[in-house]
Amino acid sequence: MGRSMKLVRTVALLAVLAVTAFVVPTSAVQPTDVSLVKIRHAEGVAVGGEDVIWILAVGSDARPGEVMTRSRGDALQMVGINTRTGSATAIGVPRDSWVAIPGHGREKINSALYFAGPRGMAGAMRNLIGIEPDYVMVTRFPFFEDMVDDIGGITVTNPRRFQDPYLKKEGFKQGRIHLDGYNAMAFSRIRKGLVGGDFDRSANQQRTLRGIHARIRSQAARPGFIERGVMTVMAHTDTNASPGELFEIAQAVAQVDPRRISTCVVRGRVGFVGAASVVFPDVAQARRLGREARQDAALRGC
Amino acid sequence: MPRPSPGRAHRARRLVGLALVLLVPLTSACQSSAEPSAAPERLSRSDAQATLASHPAPTKVGIHRVHGRLPVARRKVVRRQVGAVVDRWWEAAYLGGTYPRSSFPAAFPGFTAAAEQRARADKALLTNQTAGPRIDSVTARQRKVTLDILATDRQARAVTAQFVLKFDTTGQKTGTTTVRGRLFLTRKRGAWRVFGYDVAKGAR
Repeated sequence: MGRSMKLVRTVALLAVLAVTAFVVPTSAVQPTDVSLVKIRHAEGVAVGGEDVIWILAVGSDARPGEVMTRSRGDALQMVGINTRTGSATAIGVPRDSWVAIPGHGREKINSALYFAGPRGMAGAMRNLIGIEPDYVMVTRFPFFEDMVDDIGGITVTNPRRFQDPYLKKEGFKQGRIHLDGYNAMAFSRIRKGLVGGDFDRSANQQRTLRGIHARIRSQAARPGFIERGVMTVMAHTDTNASPGELFEIAQAVAQVDPRRISTCVVRGRVGFVGAASVVFPDVAQARRLGREARQDAALRGC
Repeated sequence: MPRPSPGRAHRARRLVGLALVLLVPLTSACQSSAEPSAAPERLSRSDAQATLASHPAPTKVGIHRVHGRLPVARRKVVRRQVGAVVDRWWEAAYLGGTYPRSSFPAAFPGFTAAAEQRARADKALLTNQTAGPRIDSVTARQRKVTLDILATDRQARAVTAQFVLKFDTTGQKTGTTTVRGRLFLTRKRGAWRVFGYDVAKGAR
């Protein structure tokens, strides 16, 4: 009788320990002397008075010695973050898109930065998509490399193999790949090896943004990670956001739900203006994307 | 030296005992009469204890790292001011006030208006609202805050406050609750304000 009681007790104890091992999450509230814990979690960020903040991210092609806010803007992504729902969207625009630049007539959109600075680029994007960004952040490719290295690299999902004889001779393989700063730059910049040219490149830039977001989200709880990130962004970008606002944006980015990210590249038709090869953007589609995403930073389709 | 007679000593002991018996309720009555006599609702037995017991564990506020340059004197000011913001939230949301109760109408002092609106939707975690009606008293066990400070131009611009709050509850809901996570603060109109949070709450 005594022995069977002991056996029952031992089995019960083992069962409790086994259940505990599976039930108690490793990364949540976990007092050391606890057997079973019920944990719930909440997060929220409120930036300014609006639910959605819009950031125009510009990759400048400035060479050493050139002012990056007065060069051509080669990577153009309008990014919206909904701090209430945790959704986010990126609308990419091909750099050769032929658009109206406030005060400068019709030009390729990448020259808006050269002619009119970040404000002019914001105006050109507003003319096309119908959204006025709250912030403009301009960086150049070497700075972008440094920022990606500073956060420890990123992982992206590459839909097809491609390569470039100058930037990446051995190419990028298909599937999930880890990229350091240089490779993230090359992945976002290569155009010639892609079937869809500038449109596919813009889509790759969006894959890079997803990779950056995933990295920030996974590391955000590490003490000091966001602060270090903000310091590196301040060192490597030109922006109208104050340090406090950058901190708020970074925390908002960290709370974006990866399942709620939607992206789209504005379509267009390749043609010529004089001798210059340009993209005539699908303005109706661009406006529709802007209308859809303006209020909640979510796209229903592309 | 004359010794007191056994009868007198016995009488003295009885008198002392009687005095004690009378004094104890009298003393208790004096304590409770310190409470407002015109309270609109009946106070539970543990009301005084709940209010007083929230203070014994002092809040420890430390700095993990300052990112950027910030003079030592300003670091101390940030530590004190941000610590006070976190304390005010804990007092309003978990530790202070009278229990049992189900209403936490002003639980987020120091939050921005927009963040307060968000936090109201998460009251189950960011306050004691769900368990409040089953709690008689709350006693803080651990209050710890660790800061990461972002500074530019020798001024503090933003702070992440990592925190752990543990408190014991009595009543139908007896046990230890742990609230831990992060608060995000920036300076608005000359004061530190919470604009975001990432909070987990567990009980056993």
